Amino acid sequence: MSETVKLPAKREFDFAAYVSGAAFSADGETAAFALGSGLVKLVTVADNSTREIEAHGGAVLSFAPHPDGVSFVSGGDDGRLLRVGVDGSVAEIGKAQGRWIDALTTHKNGGIACGVGKEIWYWAPGGTEPKKLGPHPSTITALDFSPDGSRVAAAHYGGASIWQVRNPAGAPRKMDWKGSHVAIKYAPNSKFLATTTQDNAIHVWRLANGQDMQMAGYRTKVKSLAWTADTRFLLSDAADCFVCWDFSGKGPEGQPPVEYGFGDGAGMTAIVAHPDSGFVCGGFENGALRLGDMDSRRDLELRAPADTQKPIRAMAWSPDGWRIAAGAEDGYAVVFDLKNKS
Amino acid sequence: MTEQIPVTVLTGYLGAGKTTLLNRILTESHGKKYAVIINEFGEVGIDNDIVVGTDEEIFEMNNGCICCTVRGDLIRTIGGLMKRASQFDGIIVETTGLAEPAPVAQTFFTDDEVKAKTKLDAVVTVVDAKHFPLRLEDSREAEDQVAFADVILLNKTDLVTPAELSAVERRIRDINPFARLHRTKKSEIDLSLILNKGSFDLQRILELDPHFLHDHDHHHDHDHHGHDHAHDHGHHHGEECHDDHCDDPTHDHTKAGHSHHAHAHPRHADDIFSVATVIDGPVDPEKFRTWISGVLQTQGQNILRSKGVMSIDGAEQRFVFQAVHMIADSTWGQNWRKGEKRQSKLVFIGRKLDGDALKSGFESCKAA
Repeated sequence: MSETVKLPAKREFDFAAYVSGAAFSADGETAAFALGSGLVKLVTVADNSTREIEAHGGAVLSFAPHPDGVSFVSGGDDGRLLRVGVDGSVAEIGKAQGRWIDALTTHKNGGIACGVGKEIWYWAPGGTEPKKLGPHPSTITALDFSPDGSRVAAAHYGGASIWQVRNPAGAPRKMDWKGSHVAIKYAPNSKFLATTTQDNAIHVWRLANGQDMQMAGYRTKVKSLAWTADTRFLLSDAADCFVCWDFSGKGPEGQPPVEYGFGDGAGMTAIVAHPDSGFVCGGFENGALRLGDMDSRRDLELRAPADTQKPIRAMAWSPDGWRIAAGAEDGYAVVFDLKNKS
Repeated sequence: MTEQIPVTVLTGYLGAGKTTLLNRILTESHGKKYAVIINEFGEVGIDNDIVVGTDEEIFEMNNGCICCTVRGDLIRTIGGLMKRASQFDGIIVETTGLAEPAPVAQTFFTDDEVKAKTKLDAVVTVVDAKHFPLRLEDSREAEDQVAFADVILLNKTDLVTPAELSAVERRIRDINPFARLHRTKKSEIDLSLILNKGSFDLQRILELDPHFLHDHDHHHDHDHHGHDHAHDHGHHHGEECHDDHCDDPTHDHTKAGHSHHAHAHPRHADDIFSVATVIDGPVDPEKFRTWISGVLQTQGQNILRSKGVMSIDGAEQRFVFQAVHMIADSTWGQNWRKGEKRQSKLVFIGRKLDGDALKSGFESCKAA
């Protein structure tokens, strides 16, 4: 395919440390990469310039766009939650001595939430002191805000807990399923909540009635989930193609998933969905990157696989949908500009 | 492929000397940097090393196997450490004194990413020579920790009489005859004897041979660990054992495959002991797979660990097997040497084992 199709323009970097997170500023002009060395690298897409920000003492474990649109939120194994501005400024949002901040979510309305052991620390829009939600049955492994920002969902042992952020003293809604849940994702239409579990499966609850379903058959643990903007499909990593569970009509129960974009058999390690169209992008264990089109079920190789390449671990799509950022274990990072062809 | 980072699991009942050993690892100059996963920030010396506190969080796998419990906090912590893997040479996991070792070991067998990035190097158990007999009476965990060990530090030897010491050592050997045992005071030990030993590596199970059935006519590899070898095979502590049916390989018996039931030491119904069995010649791999999966499914809760090295018809390599409770793993080991007698050996450590049934079962796997 790559012979006949013009590929998007790309800018590649070697950051020499594990890329643990990627995010864009609201205008898409700054791509930020968080590293296992504790640094944050800021890439100005227009001129390809990079800046290095010393953020954390250890590794950056979690990373997300800041609601203000001109900065990023990073959590580290030094127990600090930081705001890193596109201007290079660094400010501490919170600190949990001796803890790892590895679960983090932000919402464009201003909310920020991170996991601190068995508790969620939630900063209301504009707030400086976090409200503490919990405790949960185990350490929180992942967090996600509902699309309207009114709720935050936490993954942990035995299922997920959904909190109304305005009522931290209230009881959470508990979504029970045995085992260790490691990732969590709200559907864009707020009707479903998806988690992934240690035993190589996805679990999904219909929030209207609490009914749940399980999608199994993965060869490894699913760590990355993406819903298409229309909530029609839920996609995951952990397979050698795009595995797409169809939530239209009666939903995926009893139906095999749509599968396309088979490559060379290498497993997918990260996936993101376009913010408002049917495109998806997968990163693979051999460093390959593939763009998928949910309408035509066709795919385009953005980066070729190679034995010498390491797994893609972090991906982000810019809010306007025209840029993709991806980073790998070995420090490789790339920004694609879908508007411009190379 | 990236080199797998070795993981040492440190266990030991409360007060056995585990923290002292950990402090030695962290403060002695051995040129290595470790990431240490502990349960709380205690009095641990921190120089260059990375110290992470986690809560021991165990969950049951959703695979219908009730003894398949895993430490989710370890999976999470190791995943996080891998983001800065270039900054250390090895990982040490300290368990609480009351911890069961099985969930820790099973974590390294079940999670794909942990398996890919790390290898369980050894379970090192520190035993208090004075209080161990008492612990056996009141704590199942103390016994489990010894049963799971690849390396045992029999510590505080200065606090017991020589007779007490040989008695406690015999008791340890009843539970686990296969671990390398070092007598220590104040956890003083040459760290090269406990770190980076590759004890859990299937390839290295071959080194079990010298300890395995104590068949002194058998060809030995004496080059690997001369220090403990001399110790284990010296028989100086076996003088009180006149039992023909004793299967303790530290004692001077040469018969293979004899019954443990007639053992001289008193045994409670729930005590841990081992069953070792050997077949002259190859096993039928299909028969073995069918048989062992049945054994592990029905008795896996009682079988803490099992290991085996087998000959298979037509294969130049040794077939190497091991399991923690019901979770089994197997691989091809080194080639058989020229002229070497190709035997198939299997050992179980557990509770309520029916040694005769296990032996006849393994016999039935013999290649036709």
